[in-house]
Amino acid sequence: MLAQLLADIASIWAKYGSVYLNGIKNTLILAIVATLIGCIIGFICGILQTIPCAPQDGIVKRVILKIIRILVRVYVEVFRGTPMILQAVFIYYGVPYFFGYTFSSIWTVSIVVVSINTGAYMAESVRGGIMSIDIGQTEGAKAIGMTHFQTMLYVILPQTLKNIMPQIGNNYIINVKDTSVMFIIGFSEFFAVHKMVSGAIFKYFPSATMEMAGYLCMTLLASFILRWVEKKLAGAGSYELVNADQLAATAGTYNYPKKGSPFDETSKEFRNER
Amino acid sequence: MSENILEIKHLSKSFGTHEVLKDIDFNVKAGDVTSIIGSSGSGKSTLLRCINLLETPTSGEILFHGEDVVSGRINQSRYRAKVGMVFQSFNLFYNMSVLENCLIGQHKVLKSEKAEAMDRAIHYLDRVGMTPYINAKPHQLSGGQKQRVAIARALAMQPEVLLFDEPTSALDPEMVGEVLDAMKGMAKAGKTMLVVTHEMAFARDVSTKVVYMADGVIVEEGKPGEVFVNPQNPKTREFLSRFL
Ligand SMILES: Nc1ncnc2c1ncn2[C@@H]1O[C@H](COP(=O)(O)OP(=O)(O)O)[C@@H](O)[C@H]1O
Ligand SMILES: [Mg+2]
Repeated sequence: MLAQLLADIASIWAKYGSVYLNGIKNTLILAIVATLIGCIIGFICGILQTIPCAPQDGIVKRVILKIIRILVRVYVEVFRGTPMILQAVFIYYGVPYFFGYTFSSIWTVSIVVVSINTGAYMAESVRGGIMSIDIGQTEGAKAIGMTHFQTMLYVILPQTLKNIMPQIGNNYIINVKDTSVMFIIGFSEFFAVHKMVSGAIFKYFPSATMEMAGYLCMTLLASFILRWVEKKLAGAGSYELVNADQLAATAGTYNYPKKGSPFDETSKEFRNER
Repeated sequence: MSENILEIKHLSKSFGTHEVLKDIDFNVKAGDVTSIIGSSGSGKSTLLRCINLLETPTSGEILFHGEDVVSGRINQSRYRAKVGMVFQSFNLFYNMSVLENCLIGQHKVLKSEKAEAMDRAIHYLDRVGMTPYINAKPHQLSGGQKQRVAIARALAMQPEVLLFDEPTSALDPEMVGEVLDAMKGMAKAGKTMLVVTHEMAFARDVSTKVVYMADGVIVEEGKPGEVFVNPQNPKTREFLSRFL
């Protein structure tokens, strides 16, 4: 049995190997690009949803923020709450129907659909990630005069990114598998190859075995890379103590505080104290 | 008499119907080291947070060099940079090293030159004895070390006033000393400080002025010699008796 299976796979591979490889390539490109764009969409939505709204802000700002929040909410609910296979059909036929614009390439529409779908999931992850960061981080940043935008960019979002890395990885793996539904609009990803080839030569099981192995390789590789990235983001486990000599090279160019300024102080006293 | 840096006038703050600060009036002059004492829940943190605009006062004025900061005509970011704050929970940025914590504000808020910012960061880290740790991340430090970095971070912004909200309350007893020492050094060096604290020895020996708060009002204020030795108000007397 096993020998037969291996022989069948070998014969399929000999004839259609490049077609399968091309399917893998298409699946990977679509999953990677759409996950990246989806993350960007998710971050934009998360950032927009968490813009603070103080009581003393003008009515215009409050109304705009409210509208943004509602729009993001609707987007998330619609694209999380419907199957991607249906979204693909809906957009593929809907855009020409309403706007008279036909997609020039199946790639464009596929990337759009998967990105929008991923973005809906990521929006919630990012919003949760931002809200889970200790309020003290924001207050610490505000207390030294950072604006909301600076606080987000330099303090909150880097921590959020690190925290939601597992979810990004999860979404990527889901995308590797779920892009298989894009055959519905004629995108020739990995699974579409199986349909085509096995339909032509009637060797369903050997082809399915190849598909299983192919998908597993793609997702295992992704898990592996993700672990590595997570480790990188976590930073070094230890630090090196620095001695005064090493700092002498960088320090001493300027004198603080300027004499006579309101910050003028006598450093000798300070040192005696310690 | 030197000019007031901060003037708090008729400051009130309510959370819903709960009036936490009631008609607070007081001034901060250059070089003042003011200790604010009082039991838990009396509104000390809220007062500091109002001054730093982390809370919006319900009514009243906060004048910084005579300019109202609540009404919003003054640039809030720039004002906050001039009024530093050290928190009970440190609030160091977890995604940055000790050195980066002391640089980020200078780079992004003060727009200081790179070399200048670097020099200043190291200068103040040196003063709190944290230069050996510049490459460490906050989670790799002890509480006392974190708080000293937080003090250096605030000092690196060269604020005119520095607010401390119970800076030693979250620390193990053996680490309180190192933080208080750093603060004493700053006081000696002439920094203007406003310190909420339960460290009565610090309030008595280091500060130039003591403010006792209870239930959202300032009950008594004066020189530490007066307030500690001869408190006028029975409430103050009762509060202080718990520490003697
Ligand atoms: N954000 C808030 N919302 C509602 N009540 C608050 C808030 N912050 C503080 N309070 C209340 O205000 C009172 C004073 O709090 P606080 O200023 O923290 O006191 P202290 O620092 O003197 O212990 C407390 O009763 C507290 O419950
Ligand atoms: Mg408090």
